[in-house]
Amino acid sequence: MTDENTDVIQGTLDMLILKTLSLEPMHGFGITRRMEQVSRGVFKINPGSLLTALQRLERAGWLDSEWRQTENSRRAKYYSLTRAGKKQLEKETADWARRASAVARLLKVEA
Amino acid sequence: MAFLRSLIYGIRNLLRRTKRERDIADEIERYFEEAAAAQVEHGMTAEEARRTIRMEAGTMSSARAQANSYGWENSVSSFFSDLRFAARQLARHRAFTVTATLTLALGIGANAAIFTAIDSILLAPLPFNHADRLAVLGTRYSNTGRTTRRVTGPDGVDVRDQAKSLEAVSLMAGGEEGVQLRDHATYTEVTWVDENFPRVYSLQPIAGRLFSDAESHRSALVNEQFARNNFGSAQAALGQTVHIENEAIEIVGVLPGSFHEPGKTEVWEAFSLLPESKSRTAFNYRAVALLRESTSFQTAQTELNSLSQRLQTAYPEDNRNKQMVALPMTEALTGSARPTLMLLWGAVGIILLIACVNVTHLQLVRSMTRQREIAIRKALGSSRWQVMRPVLLESLLLAILGCAAGLLLALPAVRILIAMAPKELPRAGEIHLNGWVLAFTMAISVLTALVSSILPAMRAAKVAAADAMKQDASRGMERKGAARLRDGLVIAEIAATFVLAVAAALLLRTMSTLMTSDLGFETQRMLVVDADNPAHTDDDYRRMLRQFDEIFANLAAIPGVEHVAGVMGLPMGPYGSNGNYNTRGGLPVESHHAPEAIFSVASPEYFQTMGIPMLRGRDFNAQDAYDNPFVVVISQSVAKQSFGNIDPIGKQIQCGLDSDKWMTIVGVVGDIRQNSPAENPGPALYMPMKQHPAYANQIHIVLRTHVKPLTLINTVHSEIARANPLIAMRFTTMDSIVNESITAQRFRAALISLFAAAGLLLSMLGVYGTMAYTVAQRTFEIGIRMAFGANRAVILRAILRHAAILAGIGIAAGLVLSLLLARLVSAMLVGVQPMDPASLGGASLLLLLTAIAAASAPGWKATHINPLAALRAE
Repeated sequence: MTDENTDVIQGTLDMLILKTLSLEPMHGFGITRRMEQVSRGVFKINPGSLLTALQRLERAGWLDSEWRQTENSRRAKYYSLTRAGKKQLEKETADWARRASAVARLLKVEA
Repeated sequence: MAFLRSLIYGIRNLLRRTKRERDIADEIERYFEEAAAAQVEHGMTAEEARRTIRMEAGTMSSARAQANSYGWENSVSSFFSDLRFAARQLARHRAFTVTATLTLALGIGANAAIFTAIDSILLAPLPFNHADRLAVLGTRYSNTGRTTRRVTGPDGVDVRDQAKSLEAVSLMAGGEEGVQLRDHATYTEVTWVDENFPRVYSLQPIAGRLFSDAESHRSALVNEQFARNNFGSAQAALGQTVHIENEAIEIVGVLPGSFHEPGKTEVWEAFSLLPESKSRTAFNYRAVALLRESTSFQTAQTELNSLSQRLQTAYPEDNRNKQMVALPMTEALTGSARPTLMLLWGAVGIILLIACVNVTHLQLVRSMTRQREIAIRKALGSSRWQVMRPVLLESLLLAILGCAAGLLLALPAVRILIAMAPKELPRAGEIHLNGWVLAFTMAISVLTALVSSILPAMRAAKVAAADAMKQDASRGMERKGAARLRDGLVIAEIAATFVLAVAAALLLRTMSTLMTSDLGFETQRMLVVDADNPAHTDDDYRRMLRQFDEIFANLAAIPGVEHVAGVMGLPMGPYGSNGNYNTRGGLPVESHHAPEAIFSVASPEYFQTMGIPMLRGRDFNAQDAYDNPFVVVISQSVAKQSFGNIDPIGKQIQCGLDSDKWMTIVGVVGDIRQNSPAENPGPALYMPMKQHPAYANQIHIVLRTHVKPLTLINTVHSEIARANPLIAMRFTTMDSIVNESITAQRFRAALISLFAAAGLLLSMLGVYGTMAYTVAQRTFEIGIRMAFGANRAVILRAILRHAAILAGIGIAAGLVLSLLLARLVSAMLVGVQPMDPASLGGASLLLLLTAIAAASAPGWKATHINPLAALRAE
């Protein structure tokens, strides 16, 4: 644990989960591990928040879930992206890119 | 779509709570397992892995709690758990719950019942097609402002022919008539209508056909009910002949049983579009009209205004100041009931308010004892809203209980209301509970819940944890504000009850005035027979008069009968006439100001039978026949207004009843109240039956008896039928006629008294509750005072004085309210002023005594506090 790690930026957790699941269906801890790996430990995800977000996304119709065997033959709930979820991810990605580049431009001007 | 999915998920979770929780617990457990496994892969021991995860991800239980709290259904289930808590609280405090529920039930039930009547009578559309376009035509005199709901024949025809905003206009006339069927006669309401009548009401016969203008005085329509009662079925009635006023009339069509306009008409006889009366000053007809589609009453009235102007120009003498008006049918039919219903509504509104105050008060008392609980909740971090919620929910539950109990109460109450309702109450048969009433009742219940819980809830929210823990009323440290608030509620209650009590007193005084007023005649032991002897030709009339002579003589011979007479224009009866008269040898009269009088036609011995005193001169006798000089008996007021000090006997009078002949005054009798006990005795002219045969065939036979009048019905009936079986008869007594004439006043007085009694009961409960609570709270203080030698009487006096002061302030406030509201009832009062000191004084005394009585039980209890026990109690 270093001082560098932070909570996920407000409002981006949903998008990050969708992105992570766009590669393959995963269970809860799988999502956490993947996001920590890819972010190189910058984002730490708390299981309570993750499960809440997963419930929210499932209710929105962007995710499906089912109980399955893991590779080391334990049982876990796997989440996968639905078609609506894919569309939502595209939308949110484009939206984020637009905002991020705008923020980046603003910061550059300030400097 | 997303909303719907969320709704479905939420509902599924609500229904299967445990499954969801198990699922989440399971998933979290797996999550932690996977996480541990991953750490172990990185070379940690199982123990280290667990500790790391705990540090990074927290505990399983906090994750579970977080995941479980997601979703709208959670606020629902916490609402339900609060509701369960409230229900348990209510179940535990049974006395409180029962008292509050009954109080609310009384208030809500009374409101539901009265609103049922208001909804059915005033709000529900009339059960006619195009009810909103139906109008009643009337005539207004712009100089006096008086409106009559009648028109003259020629005016009615002019309106019908010229008013373009009216699609159809029908003139009509009629009333109670004897209808002779093949083997018997029956009394019913017969209305003569022209062929436009069915068009105005959009009527279709259920059997047969409508009549045309050519069938005047030959054809009739009857109501389905009438057809069934008299012929067996609607079909069977077709083609049958009945006799009305001695004319043979064929039934050509049957109208639906639900239709009986105007009034309770069962037979509609055809009459011509050209009315028989050609006079523009005789208001012989009623008229109804159908406005053209999308024409407003205002437009129609504007057209009638200009039409009236034209008529005034064309007939300057007859139509002077005359203005034709179109009143909406709804207003014409139900307008008369509005003041009474509004009065009742106001009264039950007050009852509901008192009930609310009582429940508020009960809640407050309860919340005082709950202050510690609330303080502890607050100290533990409950928000204002969380503290208020149980109080509000308790009230809501109480309101639901009260609503249910109130509706149960309203069902029989409505039935009693209908049974008690005066005959003139329009649409009484249509009164029923319906969806609107349910909605209204629920709305007022919720409102009640809010109103009665707002104070207690706000107090709960205001409780400061530290203060409440310190404060302990049972040690005489009650906050001043709390006591003042309860006192204020009691005062409000007493003020509201005072208003009801004053209204009840005024209406009861009106009733007693009416019941004891000297009518000018005797009502006891008097049988009244409505007798309709059909006559049409001169021969008929001669036969009819002969038959009545014979009948009077035969009836007088029946044992138990003292006197017998006949009359057209029985006091408070359905028939009568009135108008102007002229005198010869009387006081001079200003032109355009001819004196008025009631016209009655009577047989000899009428005055004796009725007990009307003969002051001067003589009664009619056998000599006063048609061919002999016409005579008249006048009442005292006529003598006074037209003759002053001159002796009227032998002077002459002329009136427009049926002939212009001058009549010689042969007697003077006492004045009577003709139309109602509420009216002042006034001028009347009495004329002998034999000289006015046209008014002598539809009469009342009055019999003064020694025995109970109704026991003679059979004998009288067979005696009359023996003379002529076609005379239609109906029996009643003078007492019940007089009684019925004041049913509206009795209805109001009875209901308002009932409401005042209910209000009194509730206020009594309120005062009792406050005092009992105060005494209970001050037990410790009183104990100390008694230990130091305070006198029992002093303590009792202090408590009673407290109650009396509250009552006094409440009465003063009520007095002010009554002053403001008095003019609303002034139109309903007879013989008593709205500010009647006796009523106000009586109500004040009643409330004061009630308050003191209610306080005396707790006061008595206070004097019997054992100081030792009281001091040891805590």
